[in-house]
Amino acid sequence: MTGPRVTVALLLVAVSCQKPVKPGDPLPRLSRAERDRFDRGKVVFDSVFTSETGLGPLFNSTACGECHEDPAGGRGDEVEVHATAFRAGAVCDPLVQEGGPVIQQHTTPALKQALGIDEEPFPPSATARAMRTSPVVFGRGLLDLVPDSVLLAYADPADKNHDGVRGRPNRFADGRIGRFGRKGFVPTLREFNAGAFAAEMSVTTPEQPTEEDIGGKPIPTGVDPAADPEITQQALDLADDFVRFLAPPTPATLAKDGRRGRDLFSQIGCASCHIPTLRTGYSPVPALSNRPFAAYTDLLLHDMGADLADICLGLATPADFRTEPLLDLRGAEHFLHDGRATTLEQAIELHGGEGSGARDRFKTLPAADQAALIAFLKSL
Amino acid sequence: MRRNIRVAALTTILLVPLIVSAPAGWRAVGSAQPAASYTFQGTVRAINARTGTLELVTGVGMSLRLVRMTTAATTRLVATGAALRVGDLKPGDVVRAECRRTAAGLVADRIEKLEVATP
Repeated sequence: MTGPRVTVALLLVAVSCQKPVKPGDPLPRLSRAERDRFDRGKVVFDSVFTSETGLGPLFNSTACGECHEDPAGGRGDEVEVHATAFRAGAVCDPLVQEGGPVIQQHTTPALKQALGIDEEPFPPSATARAMRTSPVVFGRGLLDLVPDSVLLAYADPADKNHDGVRGRPNRFADGRIGRFGRKGFVPTLREFNAGAFAAEMSVTTPEQPTEEDIGGKPIPTGVDPAADPEITQQALDLADDFVRFLAPPTPATLAKDGRRGRDLFSQIGCASCHIPTLRTGYSPVPALSNRPFAAYTDLLLHDMGADLADICLGLATPADFRTEPLLDLRGAEHFLHDGRATTLEQAIELHGGEGSGARDRFKTLPAADQAALIAFLKSL
Repeated sequence: MRRNIRVAALTTILLVPLIVSAPAGWRAVGSAQPAASYTFQGTVRAINARTGTLELVTGVGMSLRLVRMTTAATTRLVATGAALRVGDLKPGDVVRAECRRTAAGLVADRIEKLEVATP
């Protein structure tokens, strides 16, 4: 048994000794104070905003829990629109001058009355449109704490080991290594959460205290009655803690075929990008600190081929996507960044580029082995 | 006098955590005049060497913002140990800009081009 397999086996044994974590549960071993923050954060997460409390004037949803509603804040089924421009010299323009990469699909009644629009105008300079399903938010606090050095150790941009899998980190606008979002653009969970208040609900926070322009034009006077910032630092901190403390659900117990599938997952190369186990670095929260966990990602960008390509973002080209963490696949009804696959088999089939080797090896497996691998994935 | 010192100390204690916890994209520098000076770190979106104007993309998560600033004759531009001209910057460069807010908008006092390691 190789090192990573031993680690996964020990991890599964450790997990099996604990009470199973259900979707929406907090991390085990939170302190009473942390559990209290989780509970209070869920209230903020589920709060429905109105124009008077900060919603809009452009927005995708009225509450965090509207997109991440099922069950208890982890999963979601909404699809939103993103757009950027990929320019000569491989420079990615996030179209901030035209409203930014997240295209809000709704307007408040006041904005509709002022400008006669039902949604944010699609940026005229965009070179591509992308559809994005709401990401699962379980286990994100653990992903947040994987040291950058670990990600860099998995990167192989020149494919020095000649396995056809490269992998490189994305970078945020200020040069830091990114890891959150389907293009791995956002460096920290904190920023991803704070940015979501602004980008998804146009609720300004102490960390993003200004509203987004509308297609590059200022918001008309009188359509955004709430004073900025529209939520307090305390509310933002609580919502952040709720997401940070959401545990990854315990994988289902594997039967014999599932165990066979787990071995095949590594053997055919899926685990080259979907790294089974990562370990967090230090955190002042003991439940998050120095913990191995089933991540099934390297948090790096990989070229997934022309068929999946949509927008660029940061250093990610249109074909680059961050390896999706395989957390809570059991609850998923749609797969890939835009939800185009409705079965795991379809999702594997759609892997191109650096994923094509593992895809092709999957396709050459006997039917029983394919079924075993799918059974393993459905246990996650 | 003693009361003034106490007020100054209390102000510092209250403001420092707020300033330190603010994101780099809009961090105000100098608690005595918090609205006067800002530091932005982001990607150059556009640059006009003739007019000395610079546009940076900054942001928090997926919520991105555009920051426009101008350079002046006194603006110091530096890279790793070397002086730069505005024309040496190009879209995609990552910079840290220290700016003052004036009636005409943001004016950069210092712009440092940052070396971003690859990968």
